[in-house]
This record gives sequence, C-alpha cells and structure tokens, in this order.
Amino acid sequence: MSEKERAFPLKAEISDEDIMEAMKDISGYLDITPGDFKEVYQTAYRHAMSRISSSVKAKNIMTTKVFSVKRATPVAAIAELMADNIISGVPVIEENGKVTGIISERDFLSGMGVKGAKTMMGIIADCLKNKGCMAISIGALKAEDIMTSPAITVSGNTTISEIAGIFGEKKINRVPVTDSAGNLIGIVSRADLLRYLPFKEKP
Amino acid sequence: MLRAYFAKMTGTTKSPPRISAEEIIWSWIGGFVGIGMVAYLNYSRFEHTDLVMIVGSFGASAVLIYGAIKSPLAQPRNLLGGHIISAIIGVTSFLLFHDFMWFASAMAVATSIALMHATKTLHPPGGATALIAVIGGEKIHALGYLYAIIPVGVGATIMLAIALLINNIPKKRRYPEFWI
Repeated sequence: MSEKERAFPLKAEISDEDIMEAMKDISGYLDITPGDFKEVYQTAYRHAMSRISSSVKAKNIMTTKVFSVKRATPVAAIAELMADNIISGVPVIEENGKVTGIISERDFLSGMGVKGAKTMMGIIADCLKNKGCMAISIGALKAEDIMTSPAITVSGNTTISEIAGIFGEKKINRVPVTDSAGNLIGIVSRADLLRYLPFKEKP
Repeated sequence: MLRAYFAKMTGTTKSPPRISAEEIIWSWIGGFVGIGMVAYLNYSRFEHTDLVMIVGSFGASAVLIYGAIKSPLAQPRNLLGGHIISAIIGVTSFLLFHDFMWFASAMAVATSIALMHATKTLHPPGGATALIAVIGGEKIHALGYLYAIIPVGVGATIMLAIALLINNIPKKRRYPEFWI
C-alpha cells in the first residue's frame, strides 16, 4: 500500500443501515437500491478525495519561516538550533540562497558512525557502553560533512498528494519548497501534510 | 466460473424502505386525477369519434409520475420525449412491417428502447406506447402518425399538468427534478 493510500481513506465508511435510514428520512420513493446508492457514494467520495488532494498545493500548506543553515555551519550549532526550535530537520543553503542539501536527525546519527539501527537509543546505548559519547567525535564537523545532498525539493505548485507520495517513496519526513530559481521559500513536513488532509479537523 | 455466474442471481442488496402513508395517499390522488382526466376526455368527448385520448401505457406512466416522482424515468423530458418518440417509432414499424406482426412488434419496442436511451428520454411506458401502435387494432392503425399527437402527445401533456399541480401540493413533495 502506498503512502498516498494510507494518507487518504480509500472508502467512506458507510453501512447499509445508514443508507436505509437516510432513504427513510428522505420523503418519497427513491428509485435506487441501497446497494447502488452505496456504490455511487463511494465512487463520488473517491473523486472528492482526488479533487481535494490535487487542489491543495505545497504553497498552501508550507511553513514559510524556515530555519536553515550554511555549508560551513558547525554541527554543534545545528544541533542547538534543532533542539531549541524543536525541529527535526534543516535545509542547507548556499551563499546565494539555493538549497544544496538537508540535515535530519538521521544524518546526525549517520555522521556519528552509529552502526546498526540508527536511532536515538542506539546513541544512548553506545554512550553507556563506551564511557563517553561518539557525538563528541563529530564536534569538529560542518553541515556539509553530514548533510544529505542533493536535497529532494518540491515546487510551490506540487500537490499534497504528490508530496505524500514522495514522503512514502523516499522515506523522508520533510521536503524543502523552492522557487523556479531553486531558492528556499518554505518547507513541508509530515505534520503540515496531516493537518491539511481532507476531512480532518484543523487543530 | 459457472458458480460465479449463478452466484450473481442471489442479489447483493435489500429492497428500499416503504414510503410513508402520506406519500402513498398523494400517489393515489395523483394517479386518480391524472388518469381520471384523460379517461374522462376519452369517454365523454371521443367516445363516438375516430379518435381516442387514452392508451394503456398511460397507466404505467401514472405509476412513475405520481408514484416515483424523484425517478429520472418520471421527469417531464422522459415522459413527453419517451412517449412521443416511441409513438412515432411504433407507427413507422407498423407501416413498414405490418405483414410480419411479430417482427413489427419486436422492432417497435426494441428501437424505442434504443432511441429513448440515445435521447436521454428513457420512460418505460414508452415501450408500451410503441407496442400499442402495432398491436392496438384498427382504430389505432387508422390514426397513422396522428397517434403520436392524439392520444399520445396530448394525453401525456395533460398527465404532466396534473403531476405538476398535484405533486407540488404537499410540503415535502416537489416535481419535477429537472425539465431538460
């Protein structure tokens, strides 16, 4: 099952009893069987889903106040930035504003040479076993040393269904949004996407 | 494969719910007044003429336009279009194929179904209107293409007028759903 299918419920949950009740509520003889009605309803629901998910675009849901770092930014400063702002990833931009890469928590773990499962628990376990943390070993590194590059980016007109597809396919949780010149204009995270899924109440 | 074929005959869903007593009563009133009008004209005005005002298929139309008023099959476009198109096809079929009555009958009904579909005017009583043009006897045959106007066109129009008047009296009822 693709990410897109998981993000959008494929079928509207409606029971035969719901339909019978609705048909009773509507006065007069309805020239349709409950089974046919259900089929019409569910097909219409799928059309609505694809209409909504193809009409909402990256520019509508992206966070425009994006924290970013430069190639030369020390990893310690990046860690601090991510910790202070409770974010799990930052784009790395060139001096001219173009997106060159992205750093996520996973890149930190990779940069530290964590073997096996690259999780926070892996780091903790390692610290406890080795009397000292591997994290220290990357203290001298810069953004460009640990970033994933080139970054996967989308344009402002990319639809949220496409973004959901990219998240699933590339196994990423955020994607920088760039203008036609490649300059950073925003970022869309999984949280942004969830908030704008059709028929979900806004928090 | 055969199993799947027969499994299809078991059905997949339930019969729609029964309508309210009020709806049943209004359906009865519509049917009574609608058929009453064309039948009265037929027996009081057309009795001793060569003309008729009522045909059997009007009974079927009454079920739809007074009893299932939301149905696409019961809308004015379908009522008038279905009857008139089918009447023309029925008369034509009789004129062309009256030496082979079984063929003229089948041709009239089948072609009516196809043409009503093609013109988005499907109205089941239209099939009866086409068939009556073939099997309706000498009085009907003598009408020729007039059959499409009197009784079919005019009768259907009278029944439509009654449907518009009666179906819109109760608060919860409205007719039609669409005109074109």
